[in-house]
Amino acid sequence: MKFTVNRDVFSEAVSFVVKLLPQRTTLPLLSGALIEADGSTLTLSSFDYEVSARTQVTADVEAGGRALVSGRLLNDIANRLPQAPIVISTEDGRIQVKCGSVSFSLPAMPVDEYPTVPQIDDVSGLVPGEDFASAIAQVSLAASKDDVTPVITGVQFEINENSLGLIATDRYRVAVREIDWENSMSGDALTALVPARIVTEVGKTFAHSTTVSVAIVSKDERELISFTADNKTVTSLLIKGNFPPVRRLFPEKVENYAVVNTNDLIEATNRVGLVLDREAALRFSFREGSVTLEAAGSEAAQASETIDAHLAGDDTVVSLKPQFLLDGLRSAHSEYARISFTKTDNPNKPGPVLITSQTSKDEAGLDSYKYLLQPNLLLR
Amino acid sequence: MTHERSEASILHIDLDAFFASVELLDKPELRGQPAVVASPTGRSVVTSATYEARRFGIHSAQPLAQAQRLCPHVIVLPPHMELYREASRRVMAIFRDITPLVEQLSIDEAFLDVAGARHLFGSPAEIAALVRARVRAGTGLTCSVGAASTKFVAKVASQRAKPNGVLVIEPHLTLDFLHPLPVGALWGVGGVTGEHLRTFGVKTIGDLAELPLGTLQRAVGDASARALHELAHGRDLRLVTPERDEKSISNEVTFEYDVADAEIIRRQLLQLSLKVGARLRTAHLVARTVGIKLRWDDFRTITRSRTLGEPTSVGRQIYTEAAAAFDELKFAGRRVRLVGVRAGNLVAGDGASAALWDPYERWREAENVMDDAIRRFGPHTVTAAALMKKPGRMVDPRTEG
Repeated sequence: MKFTVNRDVFSEAVSFVVKLLPQRTTLPLLSGALIEADGSTLTLSSFDYEVSARTQVTADVEAGGRALVSGRLLNDIANRLPQAPIVISTEDGRIQVKCGSVSFSLPAMPVDEYPTVPQIDDVSGLVPGEDFASAIAQVSLAASKDDVTPVITGVQFEINENSLGLIATDRYRVAVREIDWENSMSGDALTALVPARIVTEVGKTFAHSTTVSVAIVSKDERELISFTADNKTVTSLLIKGNFPPVRRLFPEKVENYAVVNTNDLIEATNRVGLVLDREAALRFSFREGSVTLEAAGSEAAQASETIDAHLAGDDTVVSLKPQFLLDGLRSAHSEYARISFTKTDNPNKPGPVLITSQTSKDEAGLDSYKYLLQPNLLLR
Repeated sequence: MTHERSEASILHIDLDAFFASVELLDKPELRGQPAVVASPTGRSVVTSATYEARRFGIHSAQPLAQAQRLCPHVIVLPPHMELYREASRRVMAIFRDITPLVEQLSIDEAFLDVAGARHLFGSPAEIAALVRARVRAGTGLTCSVGAASTKFVAKVASQRAKPNGVLVIEPHLTLDFLHPLPVGALWGVGGVTGEHLRTFGVKTIGDLAELPLGTLQRAVGDASARALHELAHGRDLRLVTPERDEKSISNEVTFEYDVADAEIIRRQLLQLSLKVGARLRTAHLVARTVGIKLRWDDFRTITRSRTLGEPTSVGRQIYTEAAAAFDELKFAGRRVRLVGVRAGNLVAGDGASAALWDPYERWREAENVMDDAIRRFGPHTVTAAALMKKPGRMVDPRTEG
């Protein structure tokens, strides 16, 4: 194998492929990046049996072939090479990387033992790249980071005719967003539960792609999802199990709500929250015209701040964890945010709070973003 | 250790009419009126009464119907255990800001050893004032503080300081304070013992102190006599011992005969899980891991443990995890001598789920009701239906005896 490739093209391709490699792996082989040269195409892949990344770039191939090399090392090297064409070749069981006056000689990993990277040719549907990326950013942060309950470490994809719904929860909050879906499959309803870590990377990778094609398939008794755009493909095994029916937690209609300037509330929350202990909650008192934030920390430190708010319905006091509120407010991606207060029959559990976007004081946002948050118990 | 304190550095702090006061926090319009906390159900009892209600002769543990006869316009507030637990947690945290030597006795009282807190916060009297101010500011509740050189005298002092007061008994005045009090104020002297002592002419603690130990031993038995004698002389060497952080709570049982029936083992796991859950709730702890232990007939012992998404004190949830751990063993009819259930990774908590949904909400409520019934009517009055020996054979404790 021997080929010449543009330095920036190669570096970007390697970095994409390596990003999804697991941090630790029991099989050293799986920390490798697979390099395949054929015709005028260079294919780079990584695969750990659960997740794969694969990309193709143009290269000047002198001799076709394939090789496996440590992914992280190759990425570190590619990032630091000077601006000059890169020549990569295999010689005597080693991989030579030459760029200008720099040369590296790396040990080759046993490529014949490398598993077959999944190739999916089906297409279930298409989504607009920018919307997809922003929906992922809004939703995936609500997924649980605790592996104890695997089903909530994923982002649930819900396909219905011409919409794709993304949902994630960690039990304390639920984030939901709907985007357009151009259906290409025979049926028109399908769900898939995808690891949030992968979904987040997919969002970043395809943020600038016009269209991302999505396929959900069963292969060898395993369910897979693939995302493809701009000669890049990411596949992931789906998480097994049933996602909790969290949509029913959202209220149908709420009469009691406040509208606030998103940034003002973010800044006030950050300021007043300074005195709080970790895990402690802030108290928000909404009344017509204003909301007052109050915090009490250990060592008797206290803070309060009042900012403008428009209130519809009754005066309301809620106790919220600052980080959870901030996540919801930032993800609203809008100048104003609506905070709705739901009622509950349980005296020992306050009703959830719903955050939605608002383009102005009076007009609700056009997107379908919804963020439901469980307040803490209010002592007084 | 016979070290005598030179200062009244043991505080006993008791929240005033705790449940009722918490209820009144968000009902200021009801303050100053006779009110009790009691379930609005048929035969409930008063769990807490405001001082205004106490003037009518109302007290806790009294049947609600009787309280309503004593004061027909008494306001009845349904209980909110979760709120009380949360308030208690905050109050105990305020205590622990003063000293780590906090021994919590129940949801609304604790001993504090403030001997080492002097250079930071001042004399015991100053600390008592500080604690009361902080509790007031932090929760809106009032408490009473007794300060003395022993636990026993501190506790008696706080009862004398109620409501909303402080009583400091300087060590050299301990006996002056103690001796005029009726013997009933002593720990361990209930109605029967008190009555018995009166036949010996003992009415006050001072009388008891003067009684020769030999006479007292004949009157109440050797062990009690020594304890009462010491207390009557103001001697009580018990230290304030913060509850050791319990690392786990477990229950296990050895079968009378080795068991090979998975159903019987699951049933036993359920019973043990409910016990462990009740112990967790009593200690105000929640567990992050649930483990099981099995000992085979050859005495080899295995343990398996599972981690929960959210810590729990619900017995039913502990059972779900214990049963899942058992099912994973692929138990194939081996003979089992012993089974155990263990709750580990314990943290303080009242078990209330802070999550948007809680699959065990109904179980939690049911088990709280069970705790309540057991507190009122004693053990063996309620259990899970699956554990009843014969259907419909539960005895109504109120009609028995």
